[in-house]
Formats: sequence, structure tokens, C-alpha cells
Amino acid sequence: MAVKEFALPDLGEGLTESEIVEWHVAVGDMVTLNQPIAEVETAKAIVSLPSPVAGKISALHAEPGATVLVGARIVTFELEGEAGETDKQDDPEASQKPAQSQKPAQPDMSAPTEKSGEASSSDAPERNSVLVGYGPAVESGKRPIRKPRAAPAAQQTSQSADAPAADALAQIVEAPAKNVNAPATPAEARTKTTPPVRKLAHDLGVDLTRVQGTGPDGLITRDDVSQVADAGAQSSDSATVSPSRESVPRAGVSNGRPREQRTPIKSVRKATAAAMVSSAFTAPHVTEFLTIDVTRTIELVARLKASGTSASVLAVIAKALCIGVARNPSVNSRWDADANEIIEFGYVNLGIAVATPRGLMVPNLKDADSLTLAELTDAIGTIARDARASKATPASLGGGTISITNVGVFGIDAGTPILNPGEAAILAMGAVRKMPWEHHGEIALRDVMTLSLSFDHRLVDGEQGARFLTDIGAILSDPGTVLSMV
Amino acid sequence: MTDLTLAKALGSGLRRALSDDDKVVLLGEDIGTLGGVFRVTDGLQRDFGTERVMDTPLAEAGIIGMAVGLAFRGYRPVCEIQFDGFIYPGFDQIVAQVAKLHYRTAGNVRMPLTIRVPYGGGIGAVEHHSESPEAYFAHTAGLRVVTCSTPQDAYSMLREAIASDDPVLFFEPKRRYWTKGEVDEDAVGLPMGTARVVVEGTDVTLVTYGPLVATALDAAVAAADDGISIEVVDLRSLSPVDFDTVSASVQKTGRLVITHEASESGGLGAEIAATLTDRCFYYLEAAPVRITGFDVPYPAAKLEDHFLPDLDRILDGVDRALGRANSLTGWSA
Amino acid sequence: MSTTVPAKAHNVGAKKPNPDFVQLLDADGIRLADDLYDPWVSDVTGDQLASLYEDLIIVRRIDTEATALQRQGELGLWPPLFGQEAAQVGSARTLRPDDFVFSSYRENAVAYCRGVTLPDLVRVWRGTAASGWDPFSVGMATPAVIIGAQTLHATGYAVGCKKDGVDSVAVAYFGDGATSEGDVSEAMVFAASFNAPVIFFCQNNQWAISEPVGLQAQRPIADRAPGFGIPSIRVDGNDVLAVMAATRSALDRARNGGGPTFIEAVTYRRGPHTTSDDPSRYVDPVVVKEWEARDPIARVEAFLRSEGVLTDELAASIQSRADQVAAEFRAGCLGLENPEPLSVFDNVYATEHSGLARQKSQYKAYLEGFEK
Repeated sequence: MAVKEFALPDLGEGLTESEIVEWHVAVGDMVTLNQPIAEVETAKAIVSLPSPVAGKISALHAEPGATVLVGARIVTFELEGEAGETDKQDDPEASQKPAQSQKPAQPDMSAPTEKSGEASSSDAPERNSVLVGYGPAVESGKRPIRKPRAAPAAQQTSQSADAPAADALAQIVEAPAKNVNAPATPAEARTKTTPPVRKLAHDLGVDLTRVQGTGPDGLITRDDVSQVADAGAQSSDSATVSPSRESVPRAGVSNGRPREQRTPIKSVRKATAAAMVSSAFTAPHVTEFLTIDVTRTIELVARLKASGTSASVLAVIAKALCIGVARNPSVNSRWDADANEIIEFGYVNLGIAVATPRGLMVPNLKDADSLTLAELTDAIGTIARDARASKATPASLGGGTISITNVGVFGIDAGTPILNPGEAAILAMGAVRKMPWEHHGEIALRDVMTLSLSFDHRLVDGEQGARFLTDIGAILSDPGTVLSMV
Repeated sequence: MTDLTLAKALGSGLRRALSDDDKVVLLGEDIGTLGGVFRVTDGLQRDFGTERVMDTPLAEAGIIGMAVGLAFRGYRPVCEIQFDGFIYPGFDQIVAQVAKLHYRTAGNVRMPLTIRVPYGGGIGAVEHHSESPEAYFAHTAGLRVVTCSTPQDAYSMLREAIASDDPVLFFEPKRRYWTKGEVDEDAVGLPMGTARVVVEGTDVTLVTYGPLVATALDAAVAAADDGISIEVVDLRSLSPVDFDTVSASVQKTGRLVITHEASESGGLGAEIAATLTDRCFYYLEAAPVRITGFDVPYPAAKLEDHFLPDLDRILDGVDRALGRANSLTGWSA
Repeated sequence: MSTTVPAKAHNVGAKKPNPDFVQLLDADGIRLADDLYDPWVSDVTGDQLASLYEDLIIVRRIDTEATALQRQGELGLWPPLFGQEAAQVGSARTLRPDDFVFSSYRENAVAYCRGVTLPDLVRVWRGTAASGWDPFSVGMATPAVIIGAQTLHATGYAVGCKKDGVDSVAVAYFGDGATSEGDVSEAMVFAASFNAPVIFFCQNNQWAISEPVGLQAQRPIADRAPGFGIPSIRVDGNDVLAVMAATRSALDRARNGGGPTFIEAVTYRRGPHTTSDDPSRYVDPVVVKEWEARDPIARVEAFLRSEGVLTDELAASIQSRADQVAAEFRAGCLGLENPEPLSVFDNVYATEHSGLARQKSQYKAYLEGFEK
């Protein structure tokens, strides 16, 4: 026993719904093909619906007066014969009126609910039956979603199978280019990027032909250009710049080097150089050195760390420096030529020199003198990390009053550091080495460090500088000395 | 404020225009006794009489030509062309006369005509009933071309069109005739010639008009599932096009997709893509993308789904604009 | 069972001829005498008239079945020809295979007579194709949807026949509303100027959707043609014999170098404009009843019964044949397959077009990107 679902068709060129005015049949009635089964009212007319099949009405799905959407099921029929057949086609002679003739022996119609339930659970109506595509699409009320696309792997197979079409496509796309007379630049020389990135490159002075694109198909991206601009300050010996690689220049790589490598002077390098020149040739620099036994400081730092307190040698030096500043304020001052005044600062904005991929930067800790040792340790770590990640803010880079530079990490004992412009002093800490040193009247291997202090001789005289340096040295060699200083 | 179908909103707008101005006259086939094949003019002849609402012979050139003569006599004719595909017999009258008389007569003769045209597909019809001929008229100097997408716009824009002293081609998206929406009859609409940002977004600007506005909004909802934020712009006016609104959007998003039912070549999408490329060149992260009908005559009903831009084709275009894998540039990205 | 009684009855002359138009068989089935047009159907036997009767029954049945199919959602649209069967069958059955028809969308009975198969009749209405058949296989163009456009096509075809030196005739079918379209007037101008062998066959069914013929014409439509220099016949469109006679006379004129003829077949559209239309909004039911009494099939049945040609046996077999055709028609409709998606690009041009080829290959790639 076959079942046919009949959905409300679009009865008039784009209708979306109709109202069932009345049924001419009831559940259980036998109907013939084209027999009127209902009157429906559309926006345009009242229309009689003829039965699409001969069969038995097994269910009516709308009440009179109900408005039904086009495409909604309105009648379920039970048909005789095999599933899917609604008409006899093969034997024209046999039928007088095929619509009228019913099979004499009706198979048992008992349990129609079971049958129709079973059949209607087989989702849709028959394939070649009611069309619900005429007229505007009926709103399903569901959230609009995309049809799912095939997985890329499968897609690529089918695309390669479709190669002729793609080739034809490529030919069509290529063809016009071949007709162009004497193009200005050969295709290989043109760079591939978007208009805004071109503009960026132009503004930063980056030569696109020397940028390797990391986008799809070698497209040069915004990041590619930015990285090149940043690394440009550093690079001096490579023919092309690859931003994806380590951008710190490797000195000493000489195979195949060009005779001359030119790099534009730009951004950070340019700024740093300017600052150095200004500092070096304005302030008369004097440098003093002090070598001390810092074993007790090393031990103190180790003990503090073991007990869970943040500590570092650099932080201890920073703390010692702040104490020294309090006792020797001239090292924490500025020569204000415009105002013809010397400014002595009542706070310490301590600059920490950081080597970053973009060059030397000196962000400073505001009011470092008010920080505890632990706070100093953490703060120093933070600003160093930020500076290396190019996240130093302009605020942190300005307003410093005195600076520390750690040349010890490079394995250097001492140096003659150049003052940060606007500051009176800069302290360089050297590497800590195990050296034979006087200890309790005997020679012992001790942790030894050299401190180098450069100062602006306009602001600080030799004696002041020396006392400042020895104060720091005293604290480092015997941290307990602090108790006599504060 | 009432809930009206787009068709009823148009009828309401016509009714108001007929009440407000004695010189307004409606002309068209089957608009009087029948009330129009889409019932837009239902009841108007009954209420305003046969002198104000005129059934015409079956002749589009005749309808437009008669309207020109009435306009010379100081009337404000509102013509109905029954279906988009039937406008062509009247094309000569529209393009050679209506569009040019004001220019030709140095402003002495005005052509304050409104020509209403149900247009667009998606209704499963036979040929000539699903056309999108708006580009021909947007290309003709001297004509204004507008199209509504909601019942409120249908009402307000039709009243503006009728009140305008310029000739206006008023395209009505027929597959949306039964869309319902709120209509405030006293609302002051956006000035004629302006586009509307229907929904804001950040990643792509999707520009469209008429029947595809609803489809574009659906696409924006579906795209949100992929984390894509689409800004949908309803042009509303096709001549002139409100490039200020569209430019501002493209400068914000950097990406542009245009969709319309009309065929690709020479369609309004080409005009918008070219102009926006010019105006927003340094803001564009990708080339503008057009998702349109193909360059074929509007096909038989069973094929129209393979002609009309739908949600999936629009989002394929959005993918392309975002540089994501799509059907044109492949899936290797 | 067949007789060879000529279709000229015993009570000819009992009634006066109709002054309004040519009529050979009145609404009651009475055979009227007409000296001018009788000769054109003097050869028609009882058998042949019975055959015409069968055609009328069948095309009405096809029309009814198609309307039902639309109501069942199997066709998007159908323009019924109910009431106009005699106008279409009477004229179409007079044509030769080498004649050519240019019609409107309502001439499905003409198409049937020209040999269009049942499934081909509904392809367009089901929406699986833009046209139903190869025009050169049946001598009939794809029906026009733009009103009146086909009259110009028919005229051009006729001029071509004349250049080729053959005596084939082009027939343009159109309605009363179409005569308001400029194309129809232009076609008559050209046809008259070039003496084209074309018949302008106007079925005045009184309606153009909801507009009555009185809005299209202020005098009988047949009166227009003489204004263009074209002879005109006004005929009872519900009288299959009169239609046949008029068409035969026009064909004869055309084949013998006499040029165009205009035939106005007066009939009535008893159904809606299309299945989307509601004529109750504009049609006076009294008028409809009047036209029921002028039914084209009933009068032939009455005549054939009175002549003893239509027996119960014959009537039953004709009904049976009609049922069979209806069933075939329904099956043919339901059996039409949906077209392949990529066929949307087919036949736009006769030769390769690169822009379109590109679109097609792109769309193909797009379709292949979906999960099956």
C-alpha cells in the first residue's frame, strides 16, 4: 500500500500561503483522480483543489479556516498498487476511465494508522510528485545556514580532474596579457601585494623587490613589510632580507660578501645615533672605576630567592644606587641650558639599558627609590621583556634621571658608558668573576665585579662621583653597610 | 504604525498620493477593476473613480506615450508596467522622450512621471516575468531609478517618487510583495537617493538592493557562524547611487561584495565596483567581488536556482573577498 | 460505421444567416447556408466532421487535465483555452505541414493539431524548459509571451516563402488585446506593402485578463485590416465549420499570390486568463451563461447526432480516447525530468563565447565544491 503526501502548491505565481475554506472530503473517503477535494482561498482567488491521485483519504492536515503555507502537507492519501505508481500507463485498452476504476479486491485497509505512520516516517513525498519550488521560497523559520562544502582534499581531487576547465580558464585569463605590447616591467619583476601594503612600503622606504612574501602564492603582507623595516636598521651584510629568520646580524660571516653593502639610515638606529652624538658632544664625560668583592651580595641574593623573595644582583645594585643618590644628589640632576639652571631631582627614575632587536633602548622605572628590592627585581624584568618585544611605551622611554647598563652579560669587565641624554650619571656593571682576592688577610677565590661610573663633569665633580661610587661599592661588598647609611 | 505587506504598503502610498494631489493619475493594464495582477491598486478605482485610476489598452508604448501628453498638460502620471519583461515596448518612449524632454526644452517642460515596475525573479515563472532591467535605465541620463526592499521603504519611497518633479523608475521586488513589515505613514524617510546600512559589521561590506536585501541579511546571519561580521548596505537608489555611504563602509571594512539578480556584464555591480575601487583604492585589502545572475537570459523555472544569487553563492564571494578558500581561487589557501 | 454524408444537412436554409459574422453551424447545431463559404467545406464528410469533433473533445480534455495538474502543483501555470476549441482546431486542421504557425501562449490546441507531443505541450508550463519543441519539426514557433510580437515574425516568414517561390503560408494567432499593440499594426503595414502570404488569425475571446474587448476596439476588430489594405473575414469562432471555411479561403488567397487576410474569430474565454487569475472579480456570470449556450462542442454533437453520424458507440469510444490522452498527458507531465544545472548556460549563442565559457567553468567548480 503506497502513501502519497500532498502539499499545498503555489496556486498563483508566487503565493506563499492559502486559507483552507472547506473540505469536500473526509478521512476515510475514496476519491477519484481530479475529484475536487477542497476549496482554498489565495490572495488572488478562491480555487478548487482537484485530487492528485485516486485513493483513500487517510488524513487531513488542516482545519477549515486555517492558513497553510505553500509546501506544507495538507492531505495524506492511501493508494492502491505498487509504491510510486499513480497512473496506469501501459494498457490503454484496458481502462475505460482509469480515474474511476477501483481495484475490485481491496487489500485490507485495517490498521491504516500503522501503515501511514510507517510510510510517513519515510521522510519526503514521492520524487516526481508535488512541486513546492514554484513561487517564493517558503520560510522554514529555521536559522539561515550555508550548505556544507566538501573537504578540501576531496575538492582538490575533483579540481585536478577538472584540469581542462581550469586550464581553459587560465588560458582565457592569460590571453590578454600576451597581446600587450612592450610591457613596462617584465612579469617576473612585478611584486605581488595589495594597494595599502604598497603604500606602507613606500612610506617606510622598503624596496618591495627585496621582500620575500609569506602570504598565499608569495603575496607580500603588511607584516612582511613591517618586519623588513624594523630589521633594516640592523642588517648590513645580507643581500636579501628574510624577515622570518633571526634578524640580529651575524658578524663575521664572510663567504660571498659583496664589496659594499648599503643600508638606509632609519628609525631606531637613526634615533639612537642622534642621541649619542648629542650626549657625547655636549656633556664632558669622566669615567671612574671600582673593583669590589661582591660575594656577600651573591650569597644574599641566593638566600632571598631560596626563601621566596624576588631578588637579583642587578636589583641590589639598583637599590644601592638609589641609596647612593640620596647621599650624593648631584649625580641625579640635569643641566638645563635653556633655563640656565641645574635641576636636582627628588626622585629616581632609573633607566635600565636593554639590548633589543631594534637597537639599544633605555626604558626607566619611575620612582625606583620607592620600590622594595622585590619590586625592583620584578619591575626590571618586566621593562626589559617589554623593550625586547618592542612594547616599550614612549612614557617609559622618557623622563629618566639616572641609568644603569649591564655590560657584564656580554662578558665585559668595564667600559666607558655614554650618558643617556639629559642625565648626569650612568653606572655600568661588569661581569662577576671568580678571582683571587684579599679575604680576612688571606688570598681566596671571591666573586669580583668592576663598576664603571661615567658622569657629566659640569654637574658632578670627581670627589662627588667617587663618593657615590664607593657608597655603592660598600653596599655590594657588605650589604649590612646599608644600616649605617639610611 | 501598521503591519502591511509590501504590496499593500504600495497601495497605501498610492492612495495617499491620490488624496494629496488632484493632478496624480494612475495608468496601467488591469489596475482598475481588477485592482492589479498583484492587487497593489486594489480598491483605488472604486474610491477615486475611473478618471483618476485608468485601465489602459494592452500597449506599453501607449501607456508611457499617453503619460507624456498628460505631463505636458500639467498632470502627475503614475504608470504601472505589469511585469519587468514587458517594459521593452515602452523603452523608446521612456528613453527618447521622458528622459530627455526637460533637457531638450531647457527646463520648460517637466516630466514628473513615476513608472512602477514589478521586477526580479524567484517566483518560478515562465519567461519575461523575472527580469532585472534596472541597468538600462540607470544608464540613461535624465531618469532617476529607485528600488525598495521593505514595506516601509515601499510606502515612503513611492510617495517621494510621485512627489519628485523628475521622472522616476520605481522598481518593486515582486517576490517580496508578500513580505510583511511595520509601516509608519507619517515617518519621514531617508531622502531619495540615499543608501541605508541595514546591519553593521566589520569584516566585509555587502552591497545590494531590492529582492536580495533579505538574502544578504540571511547571509550575514549565516556568516556569523564562521566568525565573519558582514555589513549589509541597501542601496535603495540606483541612479544616483549613494557612494558616500558605501565608501564610508568600505573604508571601514576594506572589503566589498556586490550582489544583484541582474546579469554580471554591464550590470550595476560593475559600476559600483569600478567607482569604489577608484574612491577607496588605498583601503581595499582585496578586489571588489560581484555575485550576480549569469550572462544568460533568465532561465526556466527549474533552473532559476542556478541563476539567482543565493546565500551560499554570496558567501562564496565573501570568502573570496576575505582571501579564504572559495570556488574561484581554489581551496589550497 | 462511417458514412459519407456530406456535412450539409436536411434543414439548411431553415434559419437566416447571422449578419454579424460567417456562420455555417449555429449554436443549436443547425446547418446554415452561405453561398460564399459553403464551397470551402463542401468536401467535408460526416467521418471527417466526427474526427474534428473528437479533436474538440480531446483538446478540451487536455485543457482540463492541465488545469488540474496546476492545482496539484505539477505545473507552475496554465492558460486555459476552454471555449476556444473550435477556433483553434477548425483553423489548424486546414494547414499543410509546410505552412508555419506563429502563435500566442494560449494556442495549445493548435499545437496539438500541428503534432506537438503531449509532454512537449507542458514543458514550458512545468518550467523544465523555455520552449517545448523544435519549431521546424512541427511547423510551429515557440508560442510568444510578449503580446503581439509574433505578428511581425509571421509576416517576415511569409515574405521569405514568397522569395523562395513556394506557396507555403504563415499564420499568426493572437488575441483581441494584442491588436492594441503597435507591433500588430506594424505587421499589417508590412504584410500589405509586401503582399505577404500571411493570415492574421485573431481569436477575439472578449478578454485581455480583466480588460474587456470594448477597451481595445471601438468597432469590430475585423474592420481594422481593410484600413491597412488587407481583406478581412469575421467568423463565428465557436463554429468549427465556419472557421475551417474562412481559413481555407484565406489559405487559397495566400497560396495564389493574393497576399494577406485578416480573420477575426469571435469566441469567448470561458476560463480564467491563466490559473493565477480570478475572473469572478470582473466577469458577469450572466454573460458566461450566454456563451455556454454557444458551446462549440455541443453544437457539433447535436448536428452529428441529428445526421446519425454520432452513435452512442462512437461517442463512448471518443470519450475513452480522451481519457487515454488525458492519462498519457498526465504521465508525460509527471515524467518530465528536471534539467541539469549546467544546462543553464546552453544555447545562449550559436558559437563559443569566451566570457560565458568562463562563467560556466567557474560555476561548475563552485557546484563541485559542495558535499554530495
